[in-house]
Amino acid sequence: MKEKLDRLIENLDYTLLFAVVLLCFYGLLVLYSSTRLAVTGGSDPYFFVKRQSLWALVGFVFLTIIIFIDYHNLERYSRVIYFGAIILLIMVIFAGRLTYGARRWLAIGPFDFQPSEFAKIALIGFLADFLSKNKQKLDNFFYYLLPFAYTGLLVLLVFMQPDLGTSLVYLAILIIMLFVAGVKIKYLAFTFLASISSIPLLWIFLKDYQKNRLILFLNPNLDPLGGGYNVIQSKIAIGSGGFLGNGIFSGLQSQLNFLPAQHTDFVFSVVGEELGFIGTVLLLGLYAIILWRGIKIALEARDLLGSLLAAGAVSFLFFHIVVNIGMAMGMLPATGLPLPFLSYGGSFMISNLMVIGILLNVQLNKIKW
Amino acid sequence: MRESSTVPEDVKQRLNWLLIFVVICFAILVICLWYLQMIKGEEFKERAVENCIRSLVEDAPRGRIYDRQGELLVTNRPAVVVSIIPAEVDDLEELSERLSKIIAISPEEILQTVKNYRENPFKPVKILDDCKTNKIVEIEERKDELKGVVLEVKPRRDYLYNDFAAHSLGYVGEIDKEELQRFGNPKFQGGDIIGKAGLEKYYDDILRGEKGGKEVEVDASGQEVATLLYQKPVPGEDLVLTIDKDLQLYGESLLFGKKGSIIVSDPKSGEILALVNRPSFSPNIFANGISSSDWQKLSCDTDYPLTNRSIQGVYSPGSVFKVATVAAALEEGVTDRKRKIYCSGSFKLAGQVFTCWKENGHGSLSIVDAIAHSCNVYFYTLGKDLGIEKFNKYMQKFGLGEKTGIDLPAEARGTIPSAQWKEREVKEIWFPGDTINLSIGQGYLLLTPLQVHNLITTIVTEGKFYKFHLVKKIISADGNTVKEIKPKIYKKLDFSSDTFKIIKEGLRQTILTGTGWRANIKELAVAGKTGTAQNPQGETHAWFIGFAPYENPEICITVFLENGGGGGEVAAPIARAMLEKYFNIKK
Repeated sequence: MKEKLDRLIENLDYTLLFAVVLLCFYGLLVLYSSTRLAVTGGSDPYFFVKRQSLWALVGFVFLTIIIFIDYHNLERYSRVIYFGAIILLIMVIFAGRLTYGARRWLAIGPFDFQPSEFAKIALIGFLADFLSKNKQKLDNFFYYLLPFAYTGLLVLLVFMQPDLGTSLVYLAILIIMLFVAGVKIKYLAFTFLASISSIPLLWIFLKDYQKNRLILFLNPNLDPLGGGYNVIQSKIAIGSGGFLGNGIFSGLQSQLNFLPAQHTDFVFSVVGEELGFIGTVLLLGLYAIILWRGIKIALEARDLLGSLLAAGAVSFLFFHIVVNIGMAMGMLPATGLPLPFLSYGGSFMISNLMVIGILLNVQLNKIKW
Repeated sequence: MRESSTVPEDVKQRLNWLLIFVVICFAILVICLWYLQMIKGEEFKERAVENCIRSLVEDAPRGRIYDRQGELLVTNRPAVVVSIIPAEVDDLEELSERLSKIIAISPEEILQTVKNYRENPFKPVKILDDCKTNKIVEIEERKDELKGVVLEVKPRRDYLYNDFAAHSLGYVGEIDKEELQRFGNPKFQGGDIIGKAGLEKYYDDILRGEKGGKEVEVDASGQEVATLLYQKPVPGEDLVLTIDKDLQLYGESLLFGKKGSIIVSDPKSGEILALVNRPSFSPNIFANGISSSDWQKLSCDTDYPLTNRSIQGVYSPGSVFKVATVAAALEEGVTDRKRKIYCSGSFKLAGQVFTCWKENGHGSLSIVDAIAHSCNVYFYTLGKDLGIEKFNKYMQKFGLGEKTGIDLPAEARGTIPSAQWKEREVKEIWFPGDTINLSIGQGYLLLTPLQVHNLITTIVTEGKFYKFHLVKKIISADGNTVKEIKPKIYKKLDFSSDTFKIIKEGLRQTILTGTGWRANIKELAVAGKTGTAQNPQGETHAWFIGFAPYENPEICITVFLENGGGGGEVAAPIARAMLEKYFNIKK
C-alpha cells in the first residue's frame, strides 16, 4: 500500500489535477455570484455554494477510490456495471421523482441523485471493455452495430424520462469511442447519413417542448418572451460582458435574474457577462488543458482498454463543454446539458470528477508495476 | 518496469484526429466569443441596460378648483385601472377567460387588446378603466389565478356637483393626436390627460403641474430592485374662482329645462359671480374617457348642451341693444335730454313702414321715457339721424364684434353689420332700412350674451371696461397664494357723464314705470332693460339686462332665454329672482 501511494504521488498528472481544482474553485465563485441573491436558500447567500462544495468533496472521494481500483477489473465487471445502470434507469422510470414533467431523479435517503449521470460512466467502462475485446471484429458490420444496440438501450431509457440532452451524450460517447477504436470511416459515414434521414421519423417521438426548442433554435425571435427568451437573454449577457466583463457580482442580466437557469444550464452566460472575454477564454483554456491531458493519457495508455477509457472520458467532457457553450451563445439548440465543474448539481459534479478519476487511473497504470 | 504500450497505431492516429477536432471546435468557440463580446459587445451592453432600466412616469395631481368662498368644486379621486403586463402572463387565453368572468368584458376583447399592444411587454396594457370596488376586491382575492393582472391607482378628475357650471369648468381628456403634434414632446406624451374645454383648457398649464418620474432598475419579473433617479412630480396649482357657488346653483335651478344663460358680475372688478348655461352636461362623463355613444348623444343633441351660450352663442339682442343706440345718439348730439319725438305707432322711411311694438303709439316721448317704454319709433329716428357710419363707430367703441377677453377658450366675436360687411357677406348694398333695424337691435346684428352684458357693465362703470374673469386667485398645492387676479381696466370710453346719467335714469324708469316692471323689487332699486328679439329660428329671444342698487351698483345681470318669449314677461322675473337671491331679500 505504501509503495502504491508513493508511486501515485510521484506519477500523478498534476497539470490535469491542478486544472480540475482550479475549475472547481472558478465554478464556486461564479455559482456564488449567480445564487447569492436567490430566494431558494432563504437568507443564506452561501446555500448553493455550500451544497456544491459538498458535492465536489464527495466527487473527490469517488475520484480517489477510482484511482485505486485497477481499470483492468473492468474486463470482469463491465457487464455488471452496465446492467446495474440499466436497472437504475428502469427504477427511475417507475419510481423517479417527477419534476417539470420529467422523471430523472432517484431518492436515496435525504439525497436525490440522477442515475443517468452515472450511466455515462458505466457506458464508458462497458464500451471500452467491449471495443477493446472485439476490435478485430469491428470490421464486421454486425459487430459494428452491436455497441449501438447496447448504447441504444440506455438512450431509450433516458429518452423515456424524457431527457433528450443526456441521451445525445450517450450517442456522442459511443460515436467518438467507435472512431477512436478504429472502425471503418465508411461505417461511421453510413451511420451519419442514416441518422440524418431518420430525423423526420424521430420528430414523431419528440415531445412538443423539444420540437419547440429545435424550431426556436432556428429562430429564437419567433417568441422572444417564451421559449426563445433564454437564448436571447443569454446572448445579451455574454455579449454585454465585453473584454473585461462587468465585474464579478455586477452582471446586470445575472444579478437581476434575466438569465434563466443561470446557476445550472446557463452558468456560462454569467461568466461571459461578469468576467468578459478574459473570463470565458480562461475557462476554455482550463477545459483545453483537461482535454489535451486526457487525449495525451489515451495516447500513452498501456493498452487499448486504457486508451479507450480515456477517450470515453474525454468525449463525455468534450461533448458537454461544446454543446453547453454553443447553446449559451445561441449556436446550438438548447438541449439542457450542464457545463462540467461549473453548473450546479450534485450528480453531475460527482460524475465529472469520477471521469477525471478514470483519466488519472489510466495515466497511473500506463506503467506496469 | 515499463513495458511498451500495446495501443494499436491506428488508434493512436485516430486519437490525434480527435485532438485536432477538439482544437478546431475550441477555436470556433473562441472566435464566436470574440464576435459576441468584442465586436458586438457595446450593442449587447446597451440591450442589457435597456432590459433592466425602466422609466416610470408619475403623474402630478391636477390642481383643484374652488368657488369664491373656498368651497371645493373640482378635485381628483383615485380610480383603479385594471391592466395586464403581457410579459408576466403564462397563458393569455386562460387569463382572459378568468378575468372576463369578473369584469364583464369578453375574453376575445381582452385577448385582442393585449395582442394589439406589444411594443413593450413589460408595460401594463389597460383593460378596464375605473373599476368598481366590488370587482377590485374580487380581483385582489383571486390574485393567484390572475398572474399578470395588475391594479393601478390613477388620479381621476372629479366634478363634485356634476353639471354645475359645466361650461365654465370644462372637462379633461386624453391628449389626442393633433394636440400631441401641436404641443409635442417632451411636454406631453401619448395618454396624458389635458384640459379640453373651459377653465380646464384655459388654465391647463397652471392646473396640470409637472410630471415626475423615476428611473428604476427592475429584475426579470419586472420587480423594482432599485431607484436610480427620482423626480418628484410638482402638483398643479389650484384655482379659486370668482363664481359664487350658491348663486350659480340658484341660477341653474331657475333655468332648469330651459335654454339660455344668466350672467352676474361685479361691475367694479369684472369678476363673474355666476355664469349659468342651460342645457348642460356632466364633465364627469369625460373624465373616464367618454364612450362613443355618450359622445354621439351629446354632440348630436339639437339643444347643443355642450355649447357655452354665454360666450359662444350669438343672438339678436333686440331692445337691450337700444342702450348702445342711445349712447351713440347722445354723444353725437343727435338727441338730448329735452328732445321729444312723437310716436304714432309707426315710422315711414323711403316707402317702407316700420312699426312700434305698441300699435297705437306712445305719443310724445323724451329719451328717458323712450328707454323706459322701449319705444321703437324714437330709436328708428335716432338711427336714421345717426347713419350707419357713425353707428358703427360707437359699436366699435363698445367693443362689440370683439371678444371680451374673458378667461375661457373659444369665445365668439358676434356679427356687427356695416355697409362694407353687408357688401362682402350678403352681396347687397346697405339700405337705410338696415340702419333702422339695427337701431333696435334687430337685423344682421348678432351678439353673445357676454357682449350684451359688457354693454350694461360699461354703462354702470361710466365707460370703464373691466376685464371679465372667472379666476380670482391661483394658489399653490400647499395653500400659498401664487397670483391674485386684480381688476383690470382695458379700455375707457370718453363719453360725457350726462350720457351715462340719462341712460341710467331711463333704465331705472324701465323698472319703475316701463317694460321691466316685473323685475321691480320693493326693497331694492333695480335698473334694467328688457328685450324681445325676433329671430329666424322661431319664438323670440327673451332678454333682460340690469344692475342694482341704482345709486351704488354692486352687480350687473344679464338674462337670456333662447326662443324664450318676451323679455319683460320671461327674462325680467328670472333677473328679479337672481337679485333677490343675491341681496338676500325674502319674497
